[in-house]
Amino acid sequence: MFSGKGGIFLNSKKKGMTLVAKQRLAGWTFLTPATILIAIMSFYPMVRAFIVSLQTGAGANMRFAEPIFKNYQRILADKVFQQSIVNTFLYLLIQVPIMLVLAILLAQLLNNKDLKFRGFFRTCVFLPCATSLVSYSLIFRSMFATDGLVNSILIKLGILETGYNFLGNSASAKIVIILALIWRWTGYNMVFYLAGLQNIEYSVYEAAKIDGANGWKTFWKITVPLLKPTIIMTFIMSINGTLQLFDESVNLTKGGPANSTITMSHYVYNTCFINVPNFGYAAAMSFLIFIMVAILAFINLKVGDTRD
Amino acid sequence: MKKRIFTALLTGAMVVSMTGAMAVPVAAEGDNKLTVWAWDQNFNIKAMEIAGEQYAKDHEGFELEVIETSSDDCQTKLTTAANAGDYSTLPDIVLMQDNSFQKFLKTYPDAFTDVSDMGINWDDFGALKQSYSMVDDKHYGVPFDNGAVIGCYRTDILKEAGYTIEDLTDITWSRFKEIGMDVHEKTGKYLLTSEANGGDTMMMMIQSCGANFVDENGEPFIAGNETAAKCVELYTDLVKNNVVKLVNNWDEYISTITSGEAAGIVNGNWITATLMGTEDQKGLWEITTMPKVDDVETATNYANNGGSSWYITSNCQNVDLAKDFLASTFGSSTEFYDAILPATGAISCYLPAGESEVYNEPNEFFNGQPIFSTIVEYSSHIPEFTKTPFHYEARECVNTAVVNIVNGTAQEDALQEAQDTLAFKMTE
Amino acid sequence: MTKKNKSAIQRRLIPTYIFLSIVSLISVFPLYWMISAATNTSTDVSRGRLLPGSHFMENFRNLTTQQPLWRALGNSFFYAILTTVICLLVCSIAGYGFEIYHDKGKDMLFSILLLAMMIPQVATMVPLFQMFSKAKLLNTSIGFILPIISTPFMIMMFRQNARAFPVDIIEAARIDGLNEVQIFFRMFIPTMKSTYAAAAVITFMNAWNSYLWPKVIMTDNNAMTMPMLIANLITGYVTDYGMLMCGVLFCSIPTMIVFFVLQKQFAEGITGAVK
Repeated sequence: MFSGKGGIFLNSKKKGMTLVAKQRLAGWTFLTPATILIAIMSFYPMVRAFIVSLQTGAGANMRFAEPIFKNYQRILADKVFQQSIVNTFLYLLIQVPIMLVLAILLAQLLNNKDLKFRGFFRTCVFLPCATSLVSYSLIFRSMFATDGLVNSILIKLGILETGYNFLGNSASAKIVIILALIWRWTGYNMVFYLAGLQNIEYSVYEAAKIDGANGWKTFWKITVPLLKPTIIMTFIMSINGTLQLFDESVNLTKGGPANSTITMSHYVYNTCFINVPNFGYAAAMSFLIFIMVAILAFINLKVGDTRD
Repeated sequence: MKKRIFTALLTGAMVVSMTGAMAVPVAAEGDNKLTVWAWDQNFNIKAMEIAGEQYAKDHEGFELEVIETSSDDCQTKLTTAANAGDYSTLPDIVLMQDNSFQKFLKTYPDAFTDVSDMGINWDDFGALKQSYSMVDDKHYGVPFDNGAVIGCYRTDILKEAGYTIEDLTDITWSRFKEIGMDVHEKTGKYLLTSEANGGDTMMMMIQSCGANFVDENGEPFIAGNETAAKCVELYTDLVKNNVVKLVNNWDEYISTITSGEAAGIVNGNWITATLMGTEDQKGLWEITTMPKVDDVETATNYANNGGSSWYITSNCQNVDLAKDFLASTFGSSTEFYDAILPATGAISCYLPAGESEVYNEPNEFFNGQPIFSTIVEYSSHIPEFTKTPFHYEARECVNTAVVNIVNGTAQEDALQEAQDTLAFKMTE
Repeated sequence: MTKKNKSAIQRRLIPTYIFLSIVSLISVFPLYWMISAATNTSTDVSRGRLLPGSHFMENFRNLTTQQPLWRALGNSFFYAILTTVICLLVCSIAGYGFEIYHDKGKDMLFSILLLAMMIPQVATMVPLFQMFSKAKLLNTSIGFILPIISTPFMIMMFRQNARAFPVDIIEAARIDGLNEVQIFFRMFIPTMKSTYAAAAVITFMNAWNSYLWPKVIMTDNNAMTMPMLIANLITGYVTDYGMLMCGVLFCSIPTMIVFFVLQKQFAEGITGAVK
């Protein structure tokens, strides 16, 4: 299905160089505005941030560090930041696969033409990511409080005898964060899958049905392969989002108890705005995050991209 | 057709955004105008507005604009602007938490204006309160709200267990523990509620001894610090014996009070505003001093938590006006403080204000106690201690240690780890 | 299709209905709680009351007297719509360019552009601030939207989706004498409605909720947006939870409406008409 693309160039070549040149020019023109904007708004500040990562001090007194990679060496001695790396990767490994599978599943179910109230269900599933962060963190905190809703239910069901302090214990606090992330972002990812599913012709499913494939088989054999470009995209987005995770750690647990749920970005933020500002060190940690995301994203692209 | 609508929409949007960009003036300062950042509509913003009105009466054409900026945002904006070396986005006057000022002055010394010569009697503010906004004997800020710590207790619950407010006045933490265990046994309620992450109880305890988790040179002083060890020991003991309800965040903290799960709260006196929101508990609450740390010579029943001061930024184009404005309102006027008390509940750190009639009125919520003058009185007893720019780092390290000790780590090891972490954070 | 067939299909869908209902219930519960909290007093909210109360008007009155609610709503709408329109145009044309005319050079450039989203915002905020202050763009609408109108993510989304854009349409259009720009506007945009709708929802939501950067560069009371208004509500010594939830409700509803209006676009097949 995707192999047809190369044909444009072959065909064009036959029609003469001027046309190819024209199209190539059109291609470059199309992506120029976006590229220039990203270069100025992202790459230039990134280069500046890299220079800052080699410096110490603050404000007008910024000076180059001795030795020059001092801020990067500091990471090796920083136990709290190392803890935050472990926490963040734990979230990544557990939460992202669960969320994406759930999102594809929901998109598949909601793309069924025979299903009634589809618009209603779709909106419901999307609602969590449109709900304001403030109310969402308030309610998660109150639901998982020692005398909160979840504890009341568990006690009524006889699973627990007294209220459990979910946010006060490191393992359960991590689980609460993972649940919160799944709750908030599954509908968001579903949106991309729904849009992606539109590109799969319904007749493909009809054909599969005639061939006797059951729902599960159709899902793995047709939906997943055809959604591959979208899946790669959401994977990269989720890796990026999780490694830069900030809101949940700040709002649900404040990184506690005893730093057991703090994320890398939360720690970087604290280094700049809560503690005595150390922008040089914060920039160095940011670049480490950047490198980790980049490596994972490109593995993803290479493994997933079968186009060429 | 559709394309045309789209294009029109886009052009329209562009035009609007362009004009919007041009219409916004660059903070051009009129001769008689001051801008202020503050963060609570019912509290410091209202107080500032009243100050502005009073000042405008004697100074024709004086204008004051208060821009609501939450205290977190204020820190973010200030840090970003200062680090970029561009103060043009800052207002003339900024309100800042007392605990964060030392860090800002250390990091960005050129962002603030020395106001020592503004012509007010600094000793009208308690010595401790002045010290929050001072570096090297220079004054940078005018203290505003009082952070004197009070113990607030539900007298009905105390009565049920056979105690009165007198039994909790001027006591030690170990006596507090005895009463607390008794109260928990008889009523099932906790005598104290405290936040595990970002909570201030440990800070209040050590500062009530005139000490801190840093030594007089500003170096970390947690391990081997007998006062610190005693505070941590007392506090973890309270947690383990069901005297303290240890909660995870501010919502739960407030909820333990509104739901009546906790019979007491020890915090800066600004907590009274929240308590007073629980109208069905009117008349049940009374205030007294906080408990003091046992076996420490310098220990007192007084501490400070929170509170804030007004600072003049280096972006202020009219420093004389700003100084005169602050001096003649917040710096010297008891009438002004009398006016803001009923309107905002803001209890001043300006000691002469405490003597006025308004401050001595009984408060119905607190069973007729004249809480305002009591609090001002408390604030004159608070011991001084060594400030550190690394206040939040120290607090986090100690809170982490407390959680670890409660979970079974040996106290000595946990404190040593806190010491090492804090030392690490203090190096560049 | 006969009636019998239809009811058989519906019967087979019963597990799906049950599953979706449970998921919907879990998803909607916080929204319900938010609405119910907006109608209760602060003390009731703090005590965990779940039933709706009768204090909505009071909360609403407090909110509108203390905060410039309508101005903040207006500002948020202005910025979010402006950002969405420009972002969709810039990013879709770039995504289209990257995919349809792709060659080694463009693929490489795309990979480099992707890197732009991978660094935490905190690190680039100070340099960006310096840049905007030199360009005299602090406190302007342009300063607000400029950093968020061209995002690698949106370009990627359009690029990935453009893979499904049938090549024969382009070929046919060229034979009909349309130039490359015309093909994009007349063929691509109408065909990819579902992608545009999804992108619009996401961009609108991001712009609506953007907080840190606007807060840092906007210093004017008149420039307040909804997230800033919410932040003002939680910052005082006393939090009025009822009023806060009332504000949060007003902050959440617009994104939901945008989603509800656009969701048909990306879920009801419209590509068929072109094929």
